[in-house]
Amino acid sequence: MAAQEVLVSLTGTMLSNIRRGPASSAIRVLVLVVAIVAAAPTGRAQVASSTAPASSGFDRQVQPMMFYVCSNCHKEIAGVSIDAYSKPESIANNPEGWEKIIGKLRSGEMPPPDELMQPSPAEVSSLITFIEGEFDRHDRTTTSDPGRVPTHRLNRIEYQNTVRDLLGVDFRATEEFPPDDSGYGFDNIGDVLTVSPALMEKYLSAGERIAARAIGGDPLPPPGVFTRRDRVRNIGDSTIELAEVVDYDADYVIKINITGHRGAEDLPVTLAISVDGKTVKTSTLPVQISAVNQKGGATQRAVDEARVSLTGGRHVFRAAFVNDETLKKIPLNARTNVNQNIFPEFIELAGPYKSTTPAAARKTVLACNPATGRVCVNRIMTGLTRRAYRRPVTAPEVARLMKVYDRARAAGYTGAQSLQFAVSALLVSPQFLFRIEKDPAPGTTARLSDVELASRLSYFLWSSMPDDELLTLAESNRLHLPQVLDAQLGRMLASPKASALADNFAGQWLETRSLDAVKRDAQKFPGWTPELRDAMRTETRMFFEAVLQENRPLSDFINGNYTFLNERLARHYGIAGVEGPDFRKVALSTDQRSGVFTQGSVLTVSAYPTRTSVVLRGKYLLDNVFNAPPPPPPADVPVLDETKVGVAQSLRLQMESHRTQPLCASCHRRMDPLGFALENYDAIGRWRTEDGKFPIDSSGQFPNGKSFSGPAQLKSILLESMPDFTRGVAERMLTYALGRGVEAYDRPTIRALVQATTDDGYRIQSLIRGIVHSVPFQQRRGETTDVRVAQLQEARVR
Amino acid sequence: MIVTGKALSRRTVLKGIGAAISLPFLDAMTPAFARALSAAEKPVRVAWFYVPNGIDMRNWTPGAEGALGELPGILKPFEPVKSDIMVLSNLTTNWGRPLQVGAGDHGRALGSYMTGVEVYRTAGADLKLGISADQIAAKAVGHLTPLPSLEVGLEEARMAGNCDNGYSCAYAYNLAWKTETQPLPPISDPRNLFERLFGSDIIEPPAAHARRVAMRQSILDDVLSSTQKLQASLGNGDRRKLDEYLTSVREIEVKVARAAKEGTIIDPGMEKPFGVPTTFAEYFRLMTDMMIVAFKADMTRIATVMMGREGSVRAYPEIGVADGHHPLTHHQGNMDMLAKVKQINELHAALFAEFLVKMKNTREGDSNLLDQSMIVYGSGLSDGNQHTHDQLPTLLAGRGGGSFTPGRHIIYQRETPVTNLFASMIERMGVRAEHVGDSTGQLAGLSLS
Repeated sequence: MAAQEVLVSLTGTMLSNIRRGPASSAIRVLVLVVAIVAAAPTGRAQVASSTAPASSGFDRQVQPMMFYVCSNCHKEIAGVSIDAYSKPESIANNPEGWEKIIGKLRSGEMPPPDELMQPSPAEVSSLITFIEGEFDRHDRTTTSDPGRVPTHRLNRIEYQNTVRDLLGVDFRATEEFPPDDSGYGFDNIGDVLTVSPALMEKYLSAGERIAARAIGGDPLPPPGVFTRRDRVRNIGDSTIELAEVVDYDADYVIKINITGHRGAEDLPVTLAISVDGKTVKTSTLPVQISAVNQKGGATQRAVDEARVSLTGGRHVFRAAFVNDETLKKIPLNARTNVNQNIFPEFIELAGPYKSTTPAAARKTVLACNPATGRVCVNRIMTGLTRRAYRRPVTAPEVARLMKVYDRARAAGYTGAQSLQFAVSALLVSPQFLFRIEKDPAPGTTARLSDVELASRLSYFLWSSMPDDELLTLAESNRLHLPQVLDAQLGRMLASPKASALADNFAGQWLETRSLDAVKRDAQKFPGWTPELRDAMRTETRMFFEAVLQENRPLSDFINGNYTFLNERLARHYGIAGVEGPDFRKVALSTDQRSGVFTQGSVLTVSAYPTRTSVVLRGKYLLDNVFNAPPPPPPADVPVLDETKVGVAQSLRLQMESHRTQPLCASCHRRMDPLGFALENYDAIGRWRTEDGKFPIDSSGQFPNGKSFSGPAQLKSILLESMPDFTRGVAERMLTYALGRGVEAYDRPTIRALVQATTDDGYRIQSLIRGIVHSVPFQQRRGETTDVRVAQLQEARVR
Repeated sequence: MIVTGKALSRRTVLKGIGAAISLPFLDAMTPAFARALSAAEKPVRVAWFYVPNGIDMRNWTPGAEGALGELPGILKPFEPVKSDIMVLSNLTTNWGRPLQVGAGDHGRALGSYMTGVEVYRTAGADLKLGISADQIAAKAVGHLTPLPSLEVGLEEARMAGNCDNGYSCAYAYNLAWKTETQPLPPISDPRNLFERLFGSDIIEPPAAHARRVAMRQSILDDVLSSTQKLQASLGNGDRRKLDEYLTSVREIEVKVARAAKEGTIIDPGMEKPFGVPTTFAEYFRLMTDMMIVAFKADMTRIATVMMGREGSVRAYPEIGVADGHHPLTHHQGNMDMLAKVKQINELHAALFAEFLVKMKNTREGDSNLLDQSMIVYGSGLSDGNQHTHDQLPTLLAGRGGGSFTPGRHIIYQRETPVTNLFASMIERMGVRAEHVGDSTGQLAGLSLS
């Protein structure tokens, strides 16, 4: 250990020299350091065997760089103290910190170029290899900690899907319940999901309404008329659409409101009314100018209606003029002008009216007729309770709900109505609203029961309850068998319900859910419409689903040369040959688009309302591709003068002046080139070659010296970050799958997931399979004693 | 807003597609305000309006201490209620500051504002804050009204992804905290607020409704007892989750029981709203009109309103501000951006002033609602650009039932905790809290008598 003492004492001298001394002494010191580092045996790190002490390797391959390079700044400033990483034990004790350090070294963020003592690339990679070897060694020799997934309230989407699968009722919890708070970027984090009194009240009223719709024991309420002008979408010429939920299995009247007129000579139009893609009525309407209208009176209006029988739930209503030849003669900008054209304007619904056809959905719930009495109701409730609690139920548990039925009967309700009360009691039970797992004894870990595993699986992949096949397998304790589990995984991923992963995982991971909140300056972006926004969301959702269903590599997210477009979005992208409102797979052949990071949705959520932001987009890529989120900016930063952009100065010139500040430069050197590469896309994702009067320059250079020009070349560089990208996706997907944050003790799991996914050519299903078979997904740790919890929390605060 | 005293008509029965989403609860044609306050009752109401991203202080702080003279730019709309407001300068939320922790000023600004405690930095696990001032009051006097407190939000859209530098979104979206671990999410959907206040039941004859309510009560009773049994088998953390659930069940049970006993019927005098209005002004008016009904009918005495989530990126195109609020507040001295921030501040202030006028015009006995209220309008940030957490913009409106002497600007000693104000307010509701978070005592000088 004498060598180490020498190093330590040298460090002290050198540091003081660098701080105080003139440039020449710093250079002398640098020479000295290079000599010392060179003298140490570098090169390939040993993957230390578990018997050999790690300290000698640490002294040789880690400590010199930490002392001579990093500690120059990180001793007292810059937030991180290198002291905490000066001992070999720190690798085992603080793997999270070490992973950060490795990440910064790998990305070239550290050491900064103005650091006097630059280690050689070989030295850096030697340090990384050594630390990773130590991680592996540590993982092999320690028992893994699965962590604890807290009791988890169903979030709004899980509630809504579970109700759909349990009772066949389409209930829009996302509109009825207050929003769920999120943590770690997702809204399914058990610790953050609470039950406020306002939500409890909603549960109570929703339970009654859902039960009534599922059982149908109540008479229909009086009908009403129901206008949703704000929801009606223009999806093409003379074509409008309304997606709406109706509450009852009943008849409804669809009223199509038509406005405007055409020339007196023009032919009548044919109006087609359709529900969920099926035409329910066609009729012919005159288009002539009315006498009133010619004199400048009120705009001509007409209403056409169709009565249809609907099941309670979501439906798409559409009104369109078909075979409309005259329309082609009307200029595009006059087609919604009531003085020059006639068109369907909005859709109203009226109802509910007593249906002439009986409801089909109820048959799944009502195994027998509840009017026949208690035996039947008991049978229905036994089946429902098992499925609602997602586990075998005991007789007393069913008896408790049957008491509700008995009380309702005694109060004079019919058999069906009394069953409804029992079902509504079921729907407010904690066993339904929460996913509760049995705790192992404090301080121990245990495998989850098979039924608990079934719920973890179904809420991960479907955001819903296990179906009968899954639950039955679990009840026979066979689900955990690896082959059985894999077979179920395959089946579940192939199910349409797996689109929940696209909506809920990808929608939050890629932040495309924020599209709802996006506003764009109408002056600058007149093309920004709800239709375009919906199309963008659909594109990214379908793209994710395709990667998932076809088990494509994660690299498709970066440069997959296909996507899903309808006419509206294809026009937005300048892609020809896509016609009509329906989405289809489109092969991409130009450099302009490939992967999700050049899709309109992502480019829009990473921009400001009035302009693009190199910083926002750069940060988005750092977060999501490099998995290296930058630290927040310091408070006093000179700002971009937005009014000058495109007028007096190009954006690039402005950004570059801002990067001359050393404080900013350390992050913006990495962030800005990424953002600049995407400058060819405006704030709603349109391709452009000019911003104002300045041409777009989308070239750049990364801190590690690699340069690129344009988004296509950027992507080839992004592909080199596949290990980081894979790690990032793995961390986020594990967070989502568990409903808790990834903790230090999950590092071995993450490393194993990255390895397995990489080995399988980065295929997405290998990542999902890895998660499903992982220790944190399949096991649970019992509670620690309060003392240890306190210590853990204290450690985290420090 | 006109709250009618006449018998309820079918006018409030809305156009709708089915009972579940359309019909208000009104189940009997009884006069409005079945539980009208007697002349002797003079409850004091308390409310907080939280403004995100700070306020342009150069156009906020009055020039001199003492009686309010000419009001600075942003405060101009308060001219009609000048004698009903106090501007309180130099208050601080110390726990909003970075201290040893670093970035995350927006998450902390909101989290610490009404709790006065450290915001435990976590993106999710072990969420921990403190009980907010309104909830300290709700715990003490909330049982006197059907709703112990009301939480209102004026930003419906949620952003995906992380909120603020390691602070869970729960800290940035919730002003009211019932316990250290349980936020009370604000209701931002107008229809949901309407139904929270006025119910969502279908119309049925009184006897039928009473029978339904009795069933509801028995279901809640049953849930209470079975949950307690379930809890016994759980670990501490999970038990805590179910505790929150149980507390909420109890609260709803009390509300249901009260409705059964008193037959509380409120004619809101307005149609059940549908959807979120496009402009902020319409949105604000719709939500606060309902609040006034709730105060007037004594449905609650405690309310919190978030004008936006902390760090809100809302744009206000209707007043010519196409950029997001938060990015604009990082103006770094850019005059255009400063001007837009001021425009947003002015819009918020004008709407709040309008609300105060409506409160003042709402009679209550020989007094009016504003006189019977204490309403804070403020932010946990002063300069949004620099993220400063002291010298906060704070306005106190109302006379607190006669215990304030408004119409003045008071300058406190620097570093006076804003929680001292909150402690003084809830004290006037008869709530004696030892402290509200980091409060060091009562705020002096609010009353001259």
